Amino acid sequence: MTDLIQLLVAGLATGAIYALVAVGFTLLWQTSQTINFAQGEFVMVPAFFVLAAMKFGGLSFPVAILVGIAASVLILGAVFKRLLVDPMIRHGVLPLVISTIALALFLKEGVKEFYGAEAQSFPALWTTTHVTIAGAVVSLQNLVIIGVAVVTIAVLQWFLGRTRTGRCMQATAQNPALARILGIRVERMILYTFLINAALVALASLLISPIYLAKFSNGETLGIVAFIAAIVGGFNQVRGAIVGGLLLGVIDNLVAAYLSTQYRGAIPLFLLIAVILFRPQGLLGRAEERSV
Amino acid sequence: MSAVLEVSKLSKSFGGISAVDDVSFEVREGEILGIIGPNGSGKSTLFNCILGQLQPSSGEVRIDGRSIRGMRPCDLNRLGVSRTFQLLQVFPQLSVRENLILAGQEHQGSMWSRLLGPRDAGLTPAADRMIAFFRLAPVADEKAGGLSYGQQKLLDAAMAFMAGPRLVLLDEPAGGVNPTMLADLRERLRTINAEEKATFVVIEHNMEFVMSLCTRILVLAEGRIIAQGAPEAVRRNSKVIEAYFGN
Amino acid sequence: MSALGNSVRGIVAVAACAVLIAAPFGLKPYGIYLLSMWAVMTIAAIGLNLTLGYAGQISLAQASFVGIGAYTAAILTTHGWPFAAAFFLAAALCLAVGWLLGYPALRVQHHYLAFVTLAFTTLVFLVLRNEEWLTKGIYGISNIPRPAVFGWSTQAPRDFYFFCLGVLAVVSFAMWRLVRSPWGRAFMALRENPMRASSLGVDTRRYTLMAFAIGSSLGGLAGALYAPLVQFIEPTAFALGLSLNLLLMVIVGGSGFFFGPFLGALVSVLLPEWLRFTEGFYLIIYAAMVMVLMVYCPAGLLGLAERLLKPAAEDRSVLTQSDKDPGA
Repeated sequence: MTDLIQLLVAGLATGAIYALVAVGFTLLWQTSQTINFAQGEFVMVPAFFVLAAMKFGGLSFPVAILVGIAASVLILGAVFKRLLVDPMIRHGVLPLVISTIALALFLKEGVKEFYGAEAQSFPALWTTTHVTIAGAVVSLQNLVIIGVAVVTIAVLQWFLGRTRTGRCMQATAQNPALARILGIRVERMILYTFLINAALVALASLLISPIYLAKFSNGETLGIVAFIAAIVGGFNQVRGAIVGGLLLGVIDNLVAAYLSTQYRGAIPLFLLIAVILFRPQGLLGRAEERSV
Repeated sequence: MSAVLEVSKLSKSFGGISAVDDVSFEVREGEILGIIGPNGSGKSTLFNCILGQLQPSSGEVRIDGRSIRGMRPCDLNRLGVSRTFQLLQVFPQLSVRENLILAGQEHQGSMWSRLLGPRDAGLTPAADRMIAFFRLAPVADEKAGGLSYGQQKLLDAAMAFMAGPRLVLLDEPAGGVNPTMLADLRERLRTINAEEKATFVVIEHNMEFVMSLCTRILVLAEGRIIAQGAPEAVRRNSKVIEAYFGN
Repeated sequence: MSALGNSVRGIVAVAACAVLIAAPFGLKPYGIYLLSMWAVMTIAAIGLNLTLGYAGQISLAQASFVGIGAYTAAILTTHGWPFAAAFFLAAALCLAVGWLLGYPALRVQHHYLAFVTLAFTTLVFLVLRNEEWLTKGIYGISNIPRPAVFGWSTQAPRDFYFFCLGVLAVVSFAMWRLVRSPWGRAFMALRENPMRASSLGVDTRRYTLMAFAIGSSLGGLAGALYAPLVQFIEPTAFALGLSLNLLLMVIVGGSGFFFGPFLGALVSVLLPEWLRFTEGFYLIIYAAMVMVLMVYCPAGLLGLAERLLKPAAEDRSVLTQSDKDPGA
């Protein structure tokens, strides 16, 4: 039983990180029909911004974190939108998909060449001690991760649901044409989602890098998990992305512990295929009304 | 003469809004039925239900006695139903002749013959006949995207007739067409109707066009039929006048 | 297309054929190997172009079909089977698998298909890696023999290159006939306007399924040539990376253009070699170039060429309506 609790907590922790990434991914899709194939790399890069700030800028860890987050929001948010997404959005989904695939390659190889190919250790934001809950020894790190993620999502949900800007963003996601007529500055709302996504992936990066180390190739696995979490949860719902992420994290950890099979990685994939074929709106979504 | 199209107790609602409410009518072979009504009366929804684009909430649609429930547009087309579009939907990158060949190719032969057979699927003579009939000969080899709006309308109509259909549904054929061309279009439609015994159902806003083309008129308002009959009778019907102009 | 466009095309075609036939005589074995790789990748890209460029379906599964084809050929030929049998079996198997995958998968919307095919590719990779009794797993299959075609040995690099070129020529001819047939017209219609195509009787589901299956089968064919070309295969060569690479090839060359795959494969195979002097940076440069190309000309390199050669600017994606109130 104690093992189970430990696994569940660990699973929720990784799941919480997946959820952050999946939420950002879903937001981008909802507001601007952007399928960001580089989302995994977006989670990999901020850690390297921080490491570079410390190594080349000689900054202390706390300051480097701020620099890293700022750089992420600027580059992975605003610059990404202005330079890549804006020119291409009128050409349809496919050119943008190709561009994000190329961007993923660019970021991955860029980090590999400019920083290094070996895995880098990343300092944790807190000490790695253990706490006992219900007789189970649980890593404090996992609890902090869950805590941070919960707070972040809560703040995000409050922002989206209760502030004026947030509600304008929701309106933009549901019906951009109508939103424009109502005087909502649609372009600005879309920019905000890109900035929010950049902040979310930066946070995810800071949370996950201490555990899995920072490596240029991390993007691949993280990206696929983000897609699966978003789709399984329900592609057009933020809530779905959260549920999808947590579910994947827990399944991942449980399977790793109880099933020693080489096909571990296949289970999320089967889940993805099953959901797409039998319930494309995801576990939480409604049938997609946005299609033309 | 049996009914080519039979609509019985058709209803379609979206959420709580009833777009089409308990509509029933028949169309016999060779008739030209016009469907008119103010905006929002449910004409387009009715059309889309007949064409398999929307599934009705209740009721039946039958073509030559066969229920079309669950059929996709391409299956319906193979049954002999074709349509024109309100917003032009010709293929701009193909020539006029190519558009017509495309419109006819799925109605003959098999997938195999289309793969291994001749490039035009043997349809060049039929396409040329259509081109001559609709007087599109001067632009037959030009890309459809380069034609004028009126010419594209004619091409759209020609494509609907390529497969020798039983039933043709015309969605606002007169929209955006100038008066001279309109007379021409009406005359072409009348001729095809007489020669091929094709049955038409026409949605239109242009009263004059509809009254002069159709043999029978159906008037919809708020999803229900409020009048049907010969053009002159409908024109004078007080309920129709009220639906359009209010009290 | 203008007369200038046509004559430019003609000259380029003739020159290209001449180069393809003469080149191996002046190249070292590595150069010939690259040319052969180009030919093989072009075949796979032609298949993907059919699925994506002509039928409009985003497939990330092409690498798995190349893998299935490669392993089929490798396993059979290393067990003494004649290459011809392995070759056709690879194509047939991929046709069947493509059809089976496409049957349910093509019913979902486009962006979902990308994810389903992505999952499929990863699953196939896992099978190739884990089923060691069949595929020897991560140890790979080595000493894959090169076939004797009608008694003529293709062991030497130049001979194998001409074999690949021959297969490419046959595949190109077959694709040319397909695209020019009524099927090609149906594909174009369902890509441009599926709703209109359906209302004209085009069975969109059946045609997209056929495009997907044939495209997959060509992937298998490419794989069956890939195995004897590199003579050692292991699973990581056929993972998602190759699918993405093939996708880039098709798009960079020009999706939906007949010669798009040829050009795209050329860029993808040769660019790393030309940029070799930049050492590790060539992928970064490649990626940057793709992004720039997508921003300025999503129709790819051939789209760019078309834009330059056509004086009357007629955008591929826009319906031109000259005037609403016409004279006939």
